[in-house]
Amino acid sequence: MNGPDLLPLVFMLPLVVAALLPALALKRPELSWALALTAALVTAGVAAVLTATLGESLALRYPVGGWAAPLGIELVFDRLSAITIVFSGVTALALVFSRTLAGGLGPRPALFHALVLVNLGGLNGFAVAGDLFNLFVFMELLSVSAYALVAAGRGSGSALAALKYLLPGAVSSLLVLFSIGVVFALTGSLNMADVAERLGPAGAPAATALAVALFASGFMIKAALFPLHFWLPDAHSAAPGPVSALLSALVVKVGVIGLIRGQLLFGEAAAPALSQVLMLLGAVAIVAGAVAATVQSELKRLLAYSTVSNVGYIALGLGLATTASVAGSLVHVGYHGVTKAGVFLAAAALIERTGLHDIEDLRGLGHRMPWSAAAISAGMVALAGVPPSAAFVGKWQIALGALEAQQPVLIAVILGGALLALGYGIRVINALFFRSPTHARVVAAREAPPSTVLPLVVLVGLALSAGLTGALMIDFVGPVATAIVGAIAETPGGR
Amino acid sequence: MGAELFDLRPALAPLVSAVCAGLVMLVGYRPGWRAALAIAAAVLKFGIVWSMLPGALAGTVYAISFGEILPGLALAFRVDALGLFFALVSSTLWVAATVYALAYMRGHPGQQRFFGFFSLCVSTTVGIAFAENLLTLFVFYELLTVCTYPLLMHDGGLKARRAGRRYLVYTLTGGALILAGMLMIWHLAGTLSLADTGILGGIDDPVALATIFVLLAVGFGVKAAIMPLHAWLPAAMVAPVPVSALLHAVAVVKAGAFGLLRLIYNVFGVDLMRELGYADVLGAIAAATIVLASVIALRQHKLKALLAWSTISQLSYIVLAACLLTPAAALAAIIHLANQAFAKITLFFAAGAIERGTGATRIDELDGIGYRLPMVMVAFTIASLSFIGVPLLAGFITKWYLSLGALEAGAGFYVWVMAVSTLLNAAYWLPILYRAWFRRPGRYGTTARPVSLLMRVPTLICALYVVILGIGAEAPAMPFALAESAVRFAFGMLGVAP
Repeated sequence: MNGPDLLPLVFMLPLVVAALLPALALKRPELSWALALTAALVTAGVAAVLTATLGESLALRYPVGGWAAPLGIELVFDRLSAITIVFSGVTALALVFSRTLAGGLGPRPALFHALVLVNLGGLNGFAVAGDLFNLFVFMELLSVSAYALVAAGRGSGSALAALKYLLPGAVSSLLVLFSIGVVFALTGSLNMADVAERLGPAGAPAATALAVALFASGFMIKAALFPLHFWLPDAHSAAPGPVSALLSALVVKVGVIGLIRGQLLFGEAAAPALSQVLMLLGAVAIVAGAVAATVQSELKRLLAYSTVSNVGYIALGLGLATTASVAGSLVHVGYHGVTKAGVFLAAAALIERTGLHDIEDLRGLGHRMPWSAAAISAGMVALAGVPPSAAFVGKWQIALGALEAQQPVLIAVILGGALLALGYGIRVINALFFRSPTHARVVAAREAPPSTVLPLVVLVGLALSAGLTGALMIDFVGPVATAIVGAIAETPGGR
Repeated sequence: MGAELFDLRPALAPLVSAVCAGLVMLVGYRPGWRAALAIAAAVLKFGIVWSMLPGALAGTVYAISFGEILPGLALAFRVDALGLFFALVSSTLWVAATVYALAYMRGHPGQQRFFGFFSLCVSTTVGIAFAENLLTLFVFYELLTVCTYPLLMHDGGLKARRAGRRYLVYTLTGGALILAGMLMIWHLAGTLSLADTGILGGIDDPVALATIFVLLAVGFGVKAAIMPLHAWLPAAMVAPVPVSALLHAVAVVKAGAFGLLRLIYNVFGVDLMRELGYADVLGAIAAATIVLASVIALRQHKLKALLAWSTISQLSYIVLAACLLTPAAALAAIIHLANQAFAKITLFFAAGAIERGTGATRIDELDGIGYRLPMVMVAFTIASLSFIGVPLLAGFITKWYLSLGALEAGAGFYVWVMAVSTLLNAAYWLPILYRAWFRRPGRYGTTARPVSLLMRVPTLICALYVVILGIGAEAPAMPFALAESAVRFAFGMLGVAP
């Protein structure tokens, strides 16, 4: 079996294991964790092999059942799909983290592990889908599993939070579905590469504009782009610890990847309106998200708003539509995933061990849980983008794009967002290390076990140092960035 | 200039301290391990940095480059004369500061964290010194900010938290401005290299050039504590004494001053600076800072506060000298990096020893203290006389070359600034010396407890260095020759004595 033949495995493997897991683990519940972890790790390996196979080429194509596109279903592993490494790796680490939480996951941890794997299968499938229909199917798969994962929380609010998450999620799915319907009616095709070619000649500007608007607004809700972020803080903070990490680091990125696919799909039909909207909303989101994070009292809500701000960075970079800024956005998708996963897991460790959610209640915990507290502290610094952390690369590229696009004012927004991020980061660090405990449970707290601490250290270590590989990553996503900018700039009106 | 040579040492020097920091965090809960690691790293790094001196004097430039962080921008080190000079000063003082800190911090809580970040700070300082391009410099510059924060906040009280917050607001905003300036340079010039005498020659846009200069000068000016960007520094006095020494003499403020030197000599270059005339404005601000900070220092009652204001004044000597854009003044700017560092660290060590030994923190509590802590006060006397500018001490050399440079530049007015500054320095240092040596011992003098030898010896050695720098300035093996070589490079006068 050579490279491209492995392609279906990247989502089939987690899905199949997920389907079998509850049965396999019925008699021996302790097996379920190990099986789920193995599946996630093997998936990460498959994604890595596929990325390596990609080499200098732009995409691996796999016609399902041997039927060639555009009639058959096609799976495409392009440079954007390399994000599956992050999806699978972070999921695996979140599973490692959740090992000691088994008791807190309800009576049947196997179901929880299966849901996590379904989510991973959905994420990976979404990233490699070559046609709009499968894009939608995988999006639904991961969304539904995400709703269920939020509901798996122990608190009384988690069911409500899941409902709050489900409603906008369902609306966004409908918007995307409707858009796909319009596109199909216009072009008679669902294959994305095919549709991109047929849309222009189809010559229905109003219908195309409707499709663009529906598609973009649907994925903007999924990406929680300001002002469509309203559902995110509740959902992310009410979910169980490792689930918050998955949602904030990975699931939100589906919306972003959807927007990127949309830019490639609609090309000039979407530009320049979509670019303008993304730029404007992105710039507002950076500041609004960061300001909102600054005033939060709950740790997880603070991190959730930080995600809103970071999605703003990605949107701004896409909206600026220069090669530098789009490449910056693309790498930020992965880098923010790793960083936010590390920070959220660290927060989950602190919260699980003490049962306290407020930053002020966690005062002085740094001396009881040095590893977890150091991890979240370093993670907060990395999140702001202090070089050479991972987040620096994307922000630098996006700022460079702002200069290239003759929008120097946006530099102030980009740097201001980073400074605010340091501001709320420092708040957390101060509380953990430089204040005396105010809560008895903090004094009694003990460091989490190694299986919990290991994923934090790995993720935060990556977040801190991955910026050193920035040039490599930007070169890697370069062709995608060029393709997006090229797709948008075909008409004289677009940039 | 001699050949550029691939060498591991420029990377090894920062790495030693970083590794040491990691080990201290891991096994530093044992005081013995902690002390051994801290000393070993300081000495090892001292050796590595000094071992590059003979080669550098012979004109060799050691360089090493790691992968690209951003397309076209590598994480790279390159040891030129200016960078090595700064690294020599900081790594030499580091040995003294580490020994002193081990003695001073004995019995304090949280020493593991303290010595971990203490080592990281020097690691980043050497990284700043050896940075080949602005991006590498910026990476370490920001890390330095992050690493000094836990040190500054060490005791965690309300005052410390306020000071820490103010420090971060100032320095991180400054960092953001530097980043913005760097982005503009990269966008317009396509290079961030510091290996040349000016990279902005190709840009004709005066607005862009002015914006770049303002962004970078303000950004670096924050750490160099140029007025009105200085307010974080007096507040930072709440930190433990070795940290103040670190902030004031070795790392933070020097990183700012060094950044300004790089900005003037390597980013804009002397020729472009002369053409644009920005240096006149910055120089005038620096001159105002020199005088104003000294006037404010006159009114301080606490010893450490006086030292802080004196630092603000002295740092602007470097900035003013660099802004005069003549070889003699440039020499003054570079050697004052060392002169101010050795004298100021002596004073801080002395202030710490006095506080430890007698509990005195106010100037009016110092009556007769010279007879209780003679070794410390001899050192204090030497260092403060150096700041006044007494000949045969380091400070005089600076003032001499600075005045010479001002005359060369046709700015005789600045000679008067020097004279006023000398008078003001005398006006606040001499009363302290008078109290210490000629007053009867007061309440604090009589209760003096013995101060550990580990605190007294570094103090005295640093003071001795102030004397050596003052009388041995022309000795061939001293870094002075290195400063000359840096000046020759910046002014394009290869092989000509300034």
